[in-house]
Amino acid sequence: MMSRIIESASPRALALLAIVTAVLIAAPSFVNNYVLSVLIIVLYFAYVGQAWNLMLGFAGQLSLGHALFVSLGAYTSAALFIKFGVSPVVGVFAAIAVAVVAGCLIGYLGFRFSIRGVYFALLTIAFAEFTGIIVDHISWLGASSGLFLPVKNLQSNDIVNLRGSPTMFYYVILTLTGLALALCSWLLNSKLGLYWQAIREDQEAAEASGVPLFRYKMIAVAISSGLTGVGGVWYAFYYNNLFPETMFKTSQSVEIILGSVVGGVGSLFGPVLGAFVLTPLGEALTAATEGMHVDGVKSFFWGLCVAAIVLFRPQGLWPWLYDLLGLGPKREGKKP
Amino acid sequence: MDRRHLLTTGAALGAASTLALPTRLLAAGAPLKVGVLLPRSGVQAGIGQDCQRGVDIAAPILKSLGLPDLEIMNGDTESKVEIARSTAEKLIGAGAQLLIGAFDSGQTTAIAQVAEQKGVPLVINIAAAPQITEQGYKFVFRNFPTAGTILSNAFEQQKAVFAQVGHAPKSVVFMHVNDTFGTAMAGGIGKVMPKFDMPYKIVETIAYDPAARDLSVEIAKAKATGAEALLCVSRLNDAILLTREMIKQRWTPQAVLSMGPGWYEDQYLKTLGKYSDGPLTFSPWYDPKKKLSQTLVAALAKKHPNVNLNTNHVFTFEALLIAADAYKRAGSADPKALAEAIRKTNITDNSSMGPGIMFNAKGQNDKVVDGTVQNVGGKQVVVQPEASATAKAIWPLPAYDKRG
Repeated sequence: MMSRIIESASPRALALLAIVTAVLIAAPSFVNNYVLSVLIIVLYFAYVGQAWNLMLGFAGQLSLGHALFVSLGAYTSAALFIKFGVSPVVGVFAAIAVAVVAGCLIGYLGFRFSIRGVYFALLTIAFAEFTGIIVDHISWLGASSGLFLPVKNLQSNDIVNLRGSPTMFYYVILTLTGLALALCSWLLNSKLGLYWQAIREDQEAAEASGVPLFRYKMIAVAISSGLTGVGGVWYAFYYNNLFPETMFKTSQSVEIILGSVVGGVGSLFGPVLGAFVLTPLGEALTAATEGMHVDGVKSFFWGLCVAAIVLFRPQGLWPWLYDLLGLGPKREGKKP
Repeated sequence: MDRRHLLTTGAALGAASTLALPTRLLAAGAPLKVGVLLPRSGVQAGIGQDCQRGVDIAAPILKSLGLPDLEIMNGDTESKVEIARSTAEKLIGAGAQLLIGAFDSGQTTAIAQVAEQKGVPLVINIAAAPQITEQGYKFVFRNFPTAGTILSNAFEQQKAVFAQVGHAPKSVVFMHVNDTFGTAMAGGIGKVMPKFDMPYKIVETIAYDPAARDLSVEIAKAKATGAEALLCVSRLNDAILLTREMIKQRWTPQAVLSMGPGWYEDQYLKTLGKYSDGPLTFSPWYDPKKKLSQTLVAALAKKHPNVNLNTNHVFTFEALLIAADAYKRAGSADPKALAEAIRKTNITDNSSMGPGIMFNAKGQNDKVVDGTVQNVGGKQVVVQPEASATAKAIWPLPAYDKRG
């Protein structure tokens, strides 16, 4: 399957992908710590954006509560590590399981009772919010005072326990992003992906054609929530503190989806491109507006930029960039 | 050692000391570059901007104290953990030799990791999560009480106030905002209160939504309990709503005992005018009798005439004071020397309450204590501890319907 995907890509697209990959692999050797920390944020949002995109972009199911899966993954792995000394390499499977169960529960309620569109989105928000409230009251998980992972300043990286330098975390999230991209690429071109796209385009028509809606939508939710949960594991061990007040909030979910919306919902590289545009844009605006000494002015311009992108490139930046760079047959104007 | 060897060694030592000279000169004359990380935009923007006022007034005061200049490098955390971490990296990359911040425990934790990894001292202005100074960090220092200390101090202060006025309520109704902070405080109160043998019993606990626009039902319930006093954990908006409703429903308890923000804030005083007088707040505060506090009050009045000095200003200023004092004593901007100097800090003529600024082995100032503040005539007046009090507590709360 992968070889077929590579064969179907244009040489220019493959060359660009190879260059970007090489630059990203080499980045820690030539960028400073600040740029590295920005790249880490970019890759994190690229990863979780990709996981979210699988659900809306591929299968047409709008979730505004993906912070739930990040948080469940984060809390599960962090709690296992703190309380029982379970390595995140093992804890990640528990994190995936918890996130998938939560995703399937939401999916079951939504799809079994035909809750669609914005109503399904509201269901995802509701689950995220009330799970946050529950965690807020579980003292075993630190409740509202937060869950803190012990921090050690190690001379060497401990990959098994995810304790180490920012460079180690960079390569972990880079690997995850690469794997998520490969997985999504494979899924998009598989029978499963074709069924999802059929559901996304016209649910009734897909059903009439014999696509088992419930089953395939559930698979989309399960994979998306599981992938997002893995992102949560990385988040917990990188930032080392989790507060329900911030983790489960809709604002977190919006941050997760914004990269995909700006990059291009439904496209494979949209979430990655969106993350690579939005985070550096924020940093550039911070630098540009520093001299103005007006608090929040950066957020104002950032909002304007995002609004302009959405207004002038409603399908996202990826289809436009794809055409601009001549990476394949013209795409803009078509469904992503 | 032959003569040639001696000459070579001497030349090498001379060259080494010449190379080291610019660093020492820099330390002697150049200002210390201090990265100030605060949430000046995002959900905590109001508090972050308030903390910034403590930075704005600092330079001339530090100079008058004979302390070296600081070069302030501002960084906005945007109230986000990710941005806090990357901004800390940015400031260190841009040459910050010491960091200060960041009001919020989550953001501060992220910054602390960067500070520790890079070996750059971090002086925390405000953040109460105890875990921050329990990680064994060598470069992280906090001049602010932990959440547990704040709560314990609050109960001690309440008993001191009761002793001062010669009366203690037998019953209280506990009202708290149902957000993370309110819930955490409510849980903490439940655990800590039994240790202090308080003279009152909590007859009912009433939680309410932080976004509530009407608290008439809650106040009616509170009034109906017949409790002698109101114990509360609030935010600003709900503190105003609760007061308005108490006025409307003609309920004046003996006292309002606040264990959080809201009731002493400038906006509360301005919005409610004469009705803002009376509530007692137990919070980390400044000692109005200390000379430095008076200097801060005057400096803030000059720069921001409509703003009263508060916790945010004082503890942010003190973080800069710690930095400047350590720089002076270290005589160097070397991070290790700075950290060592901070560890040996002993500033007794500071502004916050307690004997002064000094850090334990964990980098925590465990001497800093709460104060009891009462609104009187549109100003916050310290009524406890006795050594810092400028007035006696007014008890009972003057009836709302008899305030002219």
